[in-house]
Formats: sequence, structure tokens, C-alpha cells
Amino acid sequence: MTEDLQRQIAVLTAFHKGLANIARHDADTVVSGTLPFEASADGLETITESFEIELTVPDAFPESLPRVRETGGRIGNDYEHHNASGTLCLAVPVEQRRIFLENPTLLGFVNRLVIPYLYGYCFWKKHGRHPFDEAAHGYEGILRHYLDTLGLADEAKALAVICYLFEHGYRGHHDCPCGSGLRVRACHGPALMILHRTHNQQTVRSDFVAIFEHCFAKFQDGQLSFPTPLRLQILRLFNRL
Amino acid sequence: MTIDIRKYSAFLEQVAGEIDIQPGKYQDAVNRYRAVGRWLEEGSYPGCTGKLSIYPQGSFRLGTVVRPIRDGIEACYDIDLVCEMPLRKDRTTAQSVKSMVGDRLRENATYKRLLDPEGRRCWTLEYAEQDGVGFHLDVLPAVLDGSGLLSTAIAITNKVGSAYSWSASDPRGYGAWFDSRNKFAFDRVQLEQKQKLQRGAPLVFASIDTVPDQLVRTPLQRAIQLMKRHRDLRFDYQERIEYAPISIIITTLAAHLYGNELDEYSALSGIVRKLQGHAALVENRAIEGCLATLGLIQRRPDGKWYIGNPVNPAENFADRWHEDNHARARAFFAWVVALQKDLLNILEETNPRLVEEHLGRVLGTAAVTRHLDILVLPAPMIDTPPRIHITGAAKPWREG
Ligand SMILES: [Zn+2]
Repeated sequence: MTEDLQRQIAVLTAFHKGLANIARHDADTVVSGTLPFEASADGLETITESFEIELTVPDAFPESLPRVRETGGRIGNDYEHHNASGTLCLAVPVEQRRIFLENPTLLGFVNRLVIPYLYGYCFWKKHGRHPFDEAAHGYEGILRHYLDTLGLADEAKALAVICYLFEHGYRGHHDCPCGSGLRVRACHGPALMILHRTHNQQTVRSDFVAIFEHCFAKFQDGQLSFPTPLRLQILRLFNRL
Repeated sequence: MTIDIRKYSAFLEQVAGEIDIQPGKYQDAVNRYRAVGRWLEEGSYPGCTGKLSIYPQGSFRLGTVVRPIRDGIEACYDIDLVCEMPLRKDRTTAQSVKSMVGDRLRENATYKRLLDPEGRRCWTLEYAEQDGVGFHLDVLPAVLDGSGLLSTAIAITNKVGSAYSWSASDPRGYGAWFDSRNKFAFDRVQLEQKQKLQRGAPLVFASIDTVPDQLVRTPLQRAIQLMKRHRDLRFDYQERIEYAPISIIITTLAAHLYGNELDEYSALSGIVRKLQGHAALVENRAIEGCLATLGLIQRRPDGKWYIGNPVNPAENFADRWHEDNHARARAFFAWVVALQKDLLNILEETNPRLVEEHLGRVLGTAAVTRHLDILVLPAPMIDTPPRIHITGAAKPWREG
């Protein structure tokens, strides 16, 4: 465990006093205990609740984010937003990173991602609907996130966007991957810049794989077509993987 | 929002911790300098009979270390180490003392590799670290100065061109004086802080008894760190850097003016207010009676300035303040005004975004962003759960 992480854990446990257990497992630090909160959101009710949770913080934190499990058996299989392994799916990875980077500490992670998730669960349990909406499952959810943040409809455009980010990072003078014919800086510049800043090597790569897999299945079924320059770019990028 | 003073104190404490030397790095530096000390002790030096004495001085000794920033980039820590030779000043020369230490360091293959070309007062060993932030260890050769005011006074060597001379210094005396100013607060905060440090770094400290006193930070020490960081960012470009207030002046005045306040905000605001009380001196006007009586910053009849070394009044830290039309004095008081505005008046700011922006600019964005939650979120009360207001929540997802 790095010293920085030790301090971050100290700050976290000073604020959330119930997260009192700290243990080491291989290259992870596991922080667990009770997480009581009183949370509100604009225009929504205040919810006071408490969950047993377990945060598994990798040594590579903050490059890799913690995994979170609810260990009190409260969140059952009727709630869809957790994985087979029991970890909570707080958001699609790039969105999770974007929110995390607004306050890149362990305390920020819990306050901005974990508690809103638990609040969303309690709200859903009570009212049968999601207060903050929900993302589509799997690769589709990742792809939709790109389409939604850029205001696009065509799935092949999401593939063009992730190819652009994976290959170039951010280049303002390039043609915008949305296909408008404008330069990036005159078109989707700000949104692409945010995505670029949010990504690291590993996350941009895994989003590329996810979106490609999703689109390629549709391509094989004949539901989607890729223009030739995009096909060539995909081939170039596959050589990088 | 207008900021609550208690929360702001906690925030300032965290930010100061962020720009401080981290406990692991501190231990690392101590181990390295002890090894250098042992190597120097084991040498044989012509004319020396007693034992060498090796000890830190400056911010590392005083607990006021700040990670330096040069041109906006975090740079290496400077650690000053005095190497006091058991020689009499009148039986040796500055040049031979300086070269004895340099020769001994070069006898060690590692130190020979780390050694910089000879400096004005010291030999510098450059320890680079994998993570990019290492430290310079400045070894200052010295001898005991029997003619000094206190028994701890030493003479250090000074090289200008190829000529060597002696300068008076008394880092142990100064350290003891600083400790005396700091003692009241130290006694009150040490237990709680050692517990926190031990809990925060269980791999470095097995128990609270192994946490060294040198890692405890009182509100005075924190205030000095924050003032130094503010100074570093304000004067971080070439045209202004030579007029920047020097650390020894900041440290000395802050330690004199500290009124044993136990929270960070009160400590800092007390010091800054009393420094501002001296500002009329720039116009050569009188200052308030009780500050004038202290005589910490004085104007001489010839217009020159005086800030005395508390353990050696003959040493004037402000001996260059009159130069260039009092440029250093003006820069100092303009900086004090900026401290008031940037670090204290910020309490009245109501927009959290501006709070973040302003504090980030004057204390460093990295350190400020990490601890902003302390200011923005309500503090948790005992037995009541933390209150969180959710904005911009993510949509939950599922992997497959
Ligand atoms: Zn576009």
C-alpha cells in the first residue's frame, strides 16, 4: 500500500467512521464496514439508510478504481445493476472515471459514486423506478454512453469516435469523427476533450474493444456498415492491442 | 456558502499535510543522512581528535518543510546537514575544513557519484528517486565558534571565487529557540497527531512510540508551511524571484508572532494580522505601540531595515531590504496583503467553484482539489450519518 493510499484511507475513515476494517489481500487493500448516510438529490426525497459495504482498492489506484460489494445481502438479484461476482456496477467505466476525476480521492469516490448508487437503489426499491435513469447492459451501455454524450444516433459513429480517441487522443484540427465534415474543434471538440482527459491507456483500449465487439456483431448480421477509412483505421488499431 | 472556520482549519491542515514531506520519505531521508553521517564520522582528519557531530538544520530540523515548486513543477526537497568538525576555528582554515569533508565524501564511490561540484557553503549530494521527487542533501562543513553568543554557535565556510572565509551561524541555538516558541502547542497536539500518523502509515510505524517528534506539526508549523507555499507560487517566475521573502524571515517572524492558537485558521490569521500591523514601516511611519515594543522589524535612522536573528542579534536577516528602492521590503508587505486576501478573506466567498479556483491558484491545485470536500460537505456529527447532496449522479450499469 502506498503512503498516499494510507492517507486517503485515513481521510475516508475519518469521514465515514463505520468503514473501520482495513485488510491487505495480494495487491489490494480491502476497506469494509458500515456506511450510513443521509442523502438527498435535487427535487427528490431525502433517504437515510445504512449498508454493509466492502471496497477493494487496487495498488494501482487511482489509475484503476476500487471495486465495491454490498456484503449485507440487502441488494438482491431483483436489482440488475451488479455483476455475477457481486460487485456493484456504479456506471459505465468512462463515466465512472469522469465523475471520479472531479474529486479524485477515495472519499470522493464513495461520496460521488457509491452513495448515489445506494441512494438510487433505495429509491428504486421504494418507487420501482430509477431516479437517475439507468444505462443499458454490457457493451451496448458503453456504446450508448458515447452516442448520448455526443448527441449522435448512428452506432457506427460511436465506433468512429472511440477509434479517433484511441488512435490520436485529442486532435483539434482533425476532421470530426461524427462525420459532419467540420474540424473537431469546430464540432464535437469540447465533448471529445472531456472524454480524452477522462481516459487512460487502459480504459480507452477497453472501450475500443467493447464498442468494436458490439458493432462487429451487427456488421456481420448486415445491420451496420463501416466506410472504408474506418475499416482501415480499425485494422491499424488492432495491431496496437 | 460562507465557510465555517472549523472546517476551514481542518482543510488548511490537510493541505499543509499534502505539501509537507511524507512520513516514509522523511524516514528515507533520515536513514540516508545518518549513513552519510556515519561515513563522515569514520574518516580520519588531520588535527581532529574528538568526535564529529552531524545534525540537520533549516526546515527539515524545524518541521516546516514544503515541497518546492520551480516553474510550476514540484522539485526535490532540500535537506541541510551540518557537519561540525572537532577543530578550533583559530587553528584551522575554512578552506581546509571544506576540503576535508569533500575529500572524505569522494572516498566513497556512491557519494562520489552523487556529489555536485563544490558549492558556496556546502557539498551537495543529489538523491534522485524513481517517482521523480528526490532530495538534495546539503552537507555544510563547520567548526564550533568559541567566540559566539551561545555555546552552540558555529562557524561555517563560505567560498567566493577562490577565496574562503568564515560566517557565523547557530542552527542548534535557533532550533532550540523555535522549539521554545512551539512548545505549548506541541505538548497539546502531539499525542493525537502521533496516533493519526501511526494509523495512517502502519507499515512505517509499528507503534505510536516510534513516530518521531519531528513529524508532529503544530498550527505554527502548518502556518509557516502554508505561507511558504503561498510565497513559492506567488514568486515563481524569474523577475520576482530574487525579491521573494526568504524562509528564515518568514519562520522567525511567524514564530515570534504566534500566540499559541490551537486551530490553523486562528494561528494563520493572528500571524498575518500582526505582520500587516508593520506595513506602515514602508512609508517610514510609526506602527502600533505593542508591535513597536517587540522590535521584530525595525527601520534604522539611515532607512535600512533590521530583522534580527533571535539567537544572534548581530545577524540581520533584512540586510538587503533597502536595496533597489526597498524592493524586498515592498515585496514582503505586498505579499502579506495577498496572504490576507487569498487565505483569510476567502472565508467570505460564497461560490464553491471560486473557492476551489482561488485556493488552487495560491496553494497548488493538486493539494486543494483533494481536500475540497472538507469545505463543501457538512461535517459528520457523532452518531448521525454523513449528509450528502447528490448532483450529477451516474446511471447504474451492468457488465454483461
Ligand atoms: Zn462532430
